[in-house]
Amino acid sequence: MRNGLIGSIIAVATCSVAPIPAAGQVFSPPRTPDGKPNLQGIWQVLNTAAWDIQDHHAQLGVPAGQGVVEGNEIPYQPAALAKKRENFVNRLRADPETKGYLPGVPRIMYMPFPFQIVQTPNYVTILYEYAHAVRIIYTNGSKHPAGHIDWWLGDSRGRWEGDTLVVDVIRFNDESWFDRTGNFHSDALHLAERYTLTDPDHINYEVTIEDPKVFTRPWKMSMPLYRRKEPNVRLLEYEAGFLREEEEQRGK
Amino acid sequence: MMVLAGVVTLWSLASPTAVAQEPAAPTTRTTWGGCPAEPVAFHRCALGKAKTFKPPRTPDGRPDMQGYWRDRLTNGFAVEGVTKDDPHSRNAVQAATVGPGMIVDPPDRKIPYQPWAAAIGRNGENLKKYIDPHGRCGLHAPPRNVEVSPIYQLLQPAGEPYLVWLLEEIHEYRVIPTDGRPHIGKDIKLWGGDAVGRWEGDTLVVDVTNLNGYTWLDDAGNFYTDAAHMVERWTMIDPDTIHYLITIEDPKAYTRPWTMSWALERIKEPGLEILEEACWEGDRDKQQWLDLGYRNYFGESWRSR
Repeated sequence: MRNGLIGSIIAVATCSVAPIPAAGQVFSPPRTPDGKPNLQGIWQVLNTAAWDIQDHHAQLGVPAGQGVVEGNEIPYQPAALAKKRENFVNRLRADPETKGYLPGVPRIMYMPFPFQIVQTPNYVTILYEYAHAVRIIYTNGSKHPAGHIDWWLGDSRGRWEGDTLVVDVIRFNDESWFDRTGNFHSDALHLAERYTLTDPDHINYEVTIEDPKVFTRPWKMSMPLYRRKEPNVRLLEYEAGFLREEEEQRGK
Repeated sequence: MMVLAGVVTLWSLASPTAVAQEPAAPTTRTTWGGCPAEPVAFHRCALGKAKTFKPPRTPDGRPDMQGYWRDRLTNGFAVEGVTKDDPHSRNAVQAATVGPGMIVDPPDRKIPYQPWAAAIGRNGENLKKYIDPHGRCGLHAPPRNVEVSPIYQLLQPAGEPYLVWLLEEIHEYRVIPTDGRPHIGKDIKLWGGDAVGRWEGDTLVVDVTNLNGYTWLDDAGNFYTDAAHMVERWTMIDPDTIHYLITIEDPKAYTRPWTMSWALERIKEPGLEILEEACWEGDRDKQQWLDLGYRNYFGESWRSR
């Protein structure tokens, strides 16, 4: 009958469309052979958090942005807040990112450059175009090495909680900032990251930041990671320090 | 004009920066995978072993070469090798090892430079004027990114059309796609080049183009230009040995293609992990080199021609 024919045409059409979950329905992600959500691919943020993780209007060369900090407030201890203000005043030369240094975590996640997630049963590895940075997240049940260690990108140990990759990151130096405005941390920084595929082309990235030397309580950032969809897309190179030196030397 | 530090200290300035973990101690081993270490003999023997070795396989049916590896060069200073007459073998700070290089073709075991290029490369102008890009924490291209890392790690994600080499050295990585994609457009030039891979039987063949020519082939200053094209071949010859082969052609710098070979040996230390080597962040020597009159390389010695 007529309704049945229309119903079956609609049924055929929806079967060939990617399964965008209906409201309230949990997305069931594509899986790797060992049954874990497949996070692999090339991803990138679409925000200006690398300049300012809080709400900001535009500056020349930098678009306005709604912040990625939940509640838009960063709970500095009083002495640390003074340090943040001093960082802000000196930011154009004091931001370690201007020297081409590794931007630390989580800033490496929201630099405006693509990164590639590579996943095997024991290692979720993130390869970044920016400064050819690498994070190896050990998912083999191993523990953090004994501290303290002054690493730029910390030590990452991950596990799956259902379909969310939960990563514990510790063992940081105190030399990187969270953004260009001077938001900073100490070597007591301790992060808890959560990576959840919400549909085939988006990962919800959340990170809880704890640093008892700088903040009065933990606080959280969150943002989508967008899959880069161009055919044959691949990571290229951005060697910040060398780019600057090459320009300087060309003039001499 | 520049002040030269003198040949004796020259190479020590260009030698590799501190690595996160120590490279393997010099070895007394003379064979790798049952093949002699000497490159011409190694290469010939390895080709034979590959005919009968049955490698472990990934679920995709490809050789499973995953794990941690170290390179076993016969000479870490110069791909052409070092003789006892070479002043670098008497460097008071870090003497270059005397021994054969890794070239297996041409038969004279020398880079087939065009005449203009030989004086620049072979212990020549590059070493006298420029800071080794490796010593400045520069990204490497093949072959050097198969020469300089104390640890290499290979990942072969199941069901995915790519492999990834991780190097502990300056936290470098190489993504090798095997999905038949084309190279990127020729106007994009990269330190590490653009790699596309394919399997020929049990050999991974990697084609590398789009090089910017900003890196060297070795510590001795041997070089290539942005016209270079490299083809690597990686073959397991026993559970703990990879036969590495690389052929390099460069119509601007060489008269013909040439080929090197060496072994990679599996590292079996339990609990091994690559550690962070933040080379650029730790560089303290740059200004001293510049004050002595050296320049950063950026391919200047061939780009100016």
